[in-house]
Amino acid sequence: MFDRDIWQEIFHTLRNNKLRTFLTGFSVGWAIFILVMLLASVNGMQNGFTGQFNDDATNSIFIRPGTTAKAYAGFEAGRRIQLKNDDFDYIKNSFPKDVEYISARYFSGTTARYKSETGSYSVQAVHPDHQIIEKTLITEGRFFNTSDVINKAKVAVLGRKVAEDLFKKEDPLGKFVEFNGLPFRVIGIFTDEGDDNAERIIYAPITTYQRIYGNTNDINQVVLTYNPTYDLTKALEFSGKLEDLMKRRHKISPEDQAGLYVWNYAEAFDDISKFSSVLNAISIGVGFLILIAGIVGIGNIMVFTIKERTKEIGVRKALGAQPKQIINLVLLESVFITALSGFIGLVFAWIILSLIGPTINTPAFTNPSVSLSTVVTATIILIVAGVLAGLIPAVKAANVKPIVALSDK
Amino acid sequence: MIEIKDLHKSYKMGSNSLHVLKGINFKAEAGELVAIMGSSGSGKSTLLNILGMLDVADSGAYTLDGVPIKDLSETKAAQYRNKFLGFVFQSFNLINYKSALENVALPLYYQKVGRKERQEKALSYLDKVGLKEWATHLPSELSGGQKQRVAIARAMAAEPKVLLADEPTGALDSTTSYEVMDLIQKINDEGNTILVVTHEEDIAHMCKRIVHLKDGVIVEDKKIEQVRAEQYV
Repeated sequence: MFDRDIWQEIFHTLRNNKLRTFLTGFSVGWAIFILVMLLASVNGMQNGFTGQFNDDATNSIFIRPGTTAKAYAGFEAGRRIQLKNDDFDYIKNSFPKDVEYISARYFSGTTARYKSETGSYSVQAVHPDHQIIEKTLITEGRFFNTSDVINKAKVAVLGRKVAEDLFKKEDPLGKFVEFNGLPFRVIGIFTDEGDDNAERIIYAPITTYQRIYGNTNDINQVVLTYNPTYDLTKALEFSGKLEDLMKRRHKISPEDQAGLYVWNYAEAFDDISKFSSVLNAISIGVGFLILIAGIVGIGNIMVFTIKERTKEIGVRKALGAQPKQIINLVLLESVFITALSGFIGLVFAWIILSLIGPTINTPAFTNPSVSLSTVVTATIILIVAGVLAGLIPAVKAANVKPIVALSDK
Repeated sequence: MIEIKDLHKSYKMGSNSLHVLKGINFKAEAGELVAIMGSSGSGKSTLLNILGMLDVADSGAYTLDGVPIKDLSETKAAQYRNKFLGFVFQSFNLINYKSALENVALPLYYQKVGRKERQEKALSYLDKVGLKEWATHLPSELSGGQKQRVAIARAMAAEPKVLLADEPTGALDSTTSYEVMDLIQKINDEGNTILVVTHEEDIAHMCKRIVHLKDGVIVEDKKIEQVRAEQYV
């Protein structure tokens, strides 16, 4: 394979037939270019979708109460379900192995004031784990911790917009801001890229808010992340179990879809990954069909080359060339053209992608790019394609009868 | 060296069958220089092709240097051709994009001789046919006689048991023909077995034995007084 003579011959034929080589190679290079671009586009769509969700941990489950739609266990339909601190503790203590992080949410609104600036904001009173579950990005200070929750500390973490609105150019950290007249110390600022509204909220410890503003045990939602080692099946099994137990706790019919919502992100992600794998399959399919045209082109040219070189092959055979040596020569030439031109298409696609890819950033289409595995796969495909393209011509060449090739008539 | 017994060969031409060789019996010892003569259609080229393992006989036995040549696979035939036979053709059949040296080295390449040794050997054979200075030239830069001499060097490079020449002078003028025959005679003097197919009387008489073929059978097989080509060069 690394025989100098064989390469010398291959280069000779390619040099003598530059235009032919270029035209043939172009079809394969073009096919690979399209294949890579298609795959990159699917990758871009996938990035776009995932970007929509990356606010939250991908293994999160949301539990939200509703209003029952079915009569059950002596209760009439239309009953409002209210989650309590007990429910939070129950889940936390019942599934220590399944739950990774867990937080309750208590929603409230407040009029916040700092010096002369005031504004209305929604407050999410939560547990410390909430930061990890929501992937809240703290830019300054810190999120509150367990001891803040236990001590019912009057501390708050402000969204970037809230801090800008109230403090203007002042540094909010350590300052006191009034929520409905009560002073809260600002301990952190968070940001949420892409969504301004998500930066217009305030986080505070759930216990503080429950005590101060309602003296209640009510919570609005429970959010949690499950054990990240779980696959989809296990995750769905867990959320199913959770739903059953919570429904039983609140005397909701197991068939009642309205009484309690348990929403598992895994399902949505599953849908997306199914969708993009279908797209992937389609683009690979289309790419392959185009590539087949290229392969046929190369095969065609090789058959031609063989016909032209029939006499030479006959001479070689008379001099003792074995069929497999002839096959080698033809296959190697075919693989060489295919691999080289395909590689040029690949590099070309890669250059275009790395130039324009990072500049594309829309919700549905973000940073289309090719992974190393795509490049490796494409290279393998090319070599296989080259072999396929050369196979028929090579066998044809090996079957050349020296006597026919050498007849001077 | 060569022994054939009752060799038959026919070609299918559409619905007709053309019986080309009708029972050939022939024997050549080592060191012989045999001319196979006959008019076109006499079967002399077919005979040479069968001897060269480029074609297969329908029936009959063929033994080359004690090895029975029968039912060979393509690969085996290629190996035998490489090991036993050297070919010289009327139209030289040099590979046009290879230099004289590379052409001569080609059979050695198929013998899997290393690159360096191959080139040294090829050069020494080119020297033998007097074309050492032309080693790097392409066939298109050589005259007909030079081409045929390169072809002879190529045939000899593999050190074959038998040299088969099919009308080696057919495309050459008479002076060049004699030059080539002189070379062939000298190679024969060194003890090589050579079979020359020709239809030219003077060329045939430069061999040591003439086998006359007519309509697929040997009609005459005689030893002759060799005419040295040297005197005409």
